[in-house]
Amino acid sequence: MEAGVLLLAIGFFLLGGSALGAFFWAVRNGQLQDLASGAEVIFDEDEPIGEATDCFPDKRSHDAVEKLMKS
Amino acid sequence: MSAATAAAPHPSTHTEVLSPQERYEIDRSLRAPVLLFFGTSIFWLLIGSILGTLAAFKMSYPGFLDSEAWLTFGRMRPAHLNVVVYGWASTAGIGVGIWLMARLCRVPLRSQNLVISAGIIWNVGILVGTLAILAGYSRSIEWLEFPGFATPILFFAYGLIGVWTIIMFRFRKPGHVYVSQWYLLAGFLWFPWLYATANILLIWQPMQGSGQAAVNWWFAHNVLGLWFTPIGLASAYYFIPKVIGRPIHSYYLSILGFWSLALFYSWNGMHHLIGGPFPAWMISAAVVASIMMFIPVFTVAINHHMTMRGNFEYLKWSPTLRFTVFGAMTYTLVSFQGSTMAIPALNSITHFTDYTIGHSHLGVYGFFSMMMFGAMYYIIPRLTGWEWPSASLIRWHFWLAAVGIILMVGTLTVGGVIQGLALRDVEVSFMTSVYLEAPFRYVRSLTGIILTAAHVVFAVHFTLMLLRSGEQKKSATLFAKSTREMATV
Amino acid sequence: MNRLPLLFIGILATFGSAWLGVVAYAYVNLGSLQPVISEETGGLLPPPLSGSAIAGQKVYAANGCLYCHSQQVRPASLSTDIAKGLGPRRTVARDYINERTVFLGTMRTGPDLTNIGVRQPSVEWHHQHLFEPGVVSEGSIMPSYRYLYKVREIQGQPSEEAIPVRGPHAPGPGYEVVPTQDAKDLVAYLISLKRNYPLPEVPEEQ
Repeated sequence: MEAGVLLLAIGFFLLGGSALGAFFWAVRNGQLQDLASGAEVIFDEDEPIGEATDCFPDKRSHDAVEKLMKS
Repeated sequence: MSAATAAAPHPSTHTEVLSPQERYEIDRSLRAPVLLFFGTSIFWLLIGSILGTLAAFKMSYPGFLDSEAWLTFGRMRPAHLNVVVYGWASTAGIGVGIWLMARLCRVPLRSQNLVISAGIIWNVGILVGTLAILAGYSRSIEWLEFPGFATPILFFAYGLIGVWTIIMFRFRKPGHVYVSQWYLLAGFLWFPWLYATANILLIWQPMQGSGQAAVNWWFAHNVLGLWFTPIGLASAYYFIPKVIGRPIHSYYLSILGFWSLALFYSWNGMHHLIGGPFPAWMISAAVVASIMMFIPVFTVAINHHMTMRGNFEYLKWSPTLRFTVFGAMTYTLVSFQGSTMAIPALNSITHFTDYTIGHSHLGVYGFFSMMMFGAMYYIIPRLTGWEWPSASLIRWHFWLAAVGIILMVGTLTVGGVIQGLALRDVEVSFMTSVYLEAPFRYVRSLTGIILTAAHVVFAVHFTLMLLRSGEQKKSATLFAKSTREMATV
Repeated sequence: MNRLPLLFIGILATFGSAWLGVVAYAYVNLGSLQPVISEETGGLLPPPLSGSAIAGQKVYAANGCLYCHSQQVRPASLSTDIAKGLGPRRTVARDYINERTVFLGTMRTGPDLTNIGVRQPSVEWHHQHLFEPGVVSEGSIMPSYRYLYKVREIQGQPSEEAIPVRGPHAPGPGYEVVPTQDAKDLVAYLISLKRNYPLPEVPEEQ
């Protein structure tokens, strides 16, 4: 029983400690500033904002999405 | 975190974006490992659907397949649960998580052998565990029925994934850490903690007495909220904006949602045990936490809705968006439903009934599985450099799955309330609840057939994809022009 | 931004407190309950289980009885469990300290079994019920557990352990149904399910 408690206590402090560390890192690394541009990192020149990147593999869908993007 | 960074510009304002060549290389590097996870997850999805459907029919026809021990309901039902939770959902989740993480870290996967080995070992663990349940080695601890000789296999495989995740994150390209990465890191680190705690305290060194149930449901509920939910939300936060080409409405809200999820979720588990043999404060804390969950859930709902606003028409034309938005809306619904189920007045009707089963399927299937389908429809063409052969098969998959889950949840929800009212009624016998519930259970069995059909469609289509059937369609998925050209090489 | 570290410590404390409150508390407190001495008999409450009943817990687990049957009586303030005859009082943590795996259960597809040993004290009834539930309990959707029994030819005299059974799987004349050790252990466990003794922490309920 004692071994179990020890294991769990170690696990708890390891995990909690790493979470705490992660948060401090985030603050110092500037992750929590400029949240507006953070949303845009998933886009790039090839797949920019305004371009859809998925549709059904048929012509009807392809044409419809092209039209939607232009509107 | 050294002094040198003080002089340099904040990394978060200088995020290098991917060139098409880089993105293509990342996808290529992920091909074998992620397809391994996806392929095996689809296999388990089929097995799990069949097990579930057979088990369901046993409630309407108790004599169905009742002569052998390994086919008895009491073994088939946990086999179904573990196969769909660990064999389908977790495996698909790992595959999606790996792909998202690599994309967002903007580096190709270097340790392919590590991840492939992990995938193989993981699947061996699932197989051993499932056969063990059918052979009678389960301890009947819900969501932890794999016996003590199977779980270390899973844990070891998972350890390899966890190590890889940290390495990948460590060597990511500098810049902003996207919200999906927060969710994935958290989920990937929470899960082993949950799994280890539960296995130690319930299976390897079982703790004495009813505290077991507390730990059991702390685990089972947290698997939903701290493993599946983070992967599902990471997926939604990436694919919704990515498909429609618009950024998330409020990035601040998404961070708020993340931390409030972490704050409240892990107290919820005890709400499965309202009225049970526990100190009142444990149950009360669970009820309060269940209500507080409105905050993160509402946050996510607002964010997704506002991002989609003005773009709902894309739902007609994008498979990924359709499955993902279905999953996202279901996430909101099932979470609100969950909060209400914790209110003692309602709980006294729904506890112990099929209502709970409706709720769990709404969450694991309606939210998480639909979300995974959406992600897989986006990811697989980019791994293989090939387009899905048939728009029609995708539509069949979607409608069979959507109709199946809505019917299933509907019948179990209505039936569950009726069953619960009868169970509570002092004027009627126990058997009354069984008679009243019978037609609802029968309909549920039929929905199992519908869902299994959806999965057969998906499995067939996936196989056709791997075999590179059909013509290579260069124009249909809106691959960027340069990516398409590279893909034909 | 200055207060963020403090905020985060608060968040971590609450997250960690759930772990402490649910897991660690359960482990330390509920996990170390001891039986009490009965004022009437001087024996332990809850009473210790026979070896056969302890083996029967494993059979209960291996065959998944928990997925249809619960084992808990909820208080009168929250339910009609007591009024419907599930037991004379609610169950508490101490009731389960002899269970290697605690089968509280979360479904009542079948009836609650907390006091099944009180409602059905007959060993023969349990064997007949497990062999063919639908015959013993009309309308039951419980499947047959006849695979826990051996059907064999009667050698000279019928065995003392033979169970008289009816229904579609009852063997013809010249054959008898005899329980395996698993079936005997399971029934020993079911008979032991009685939570009608008083405990100091539970006042008498109406």
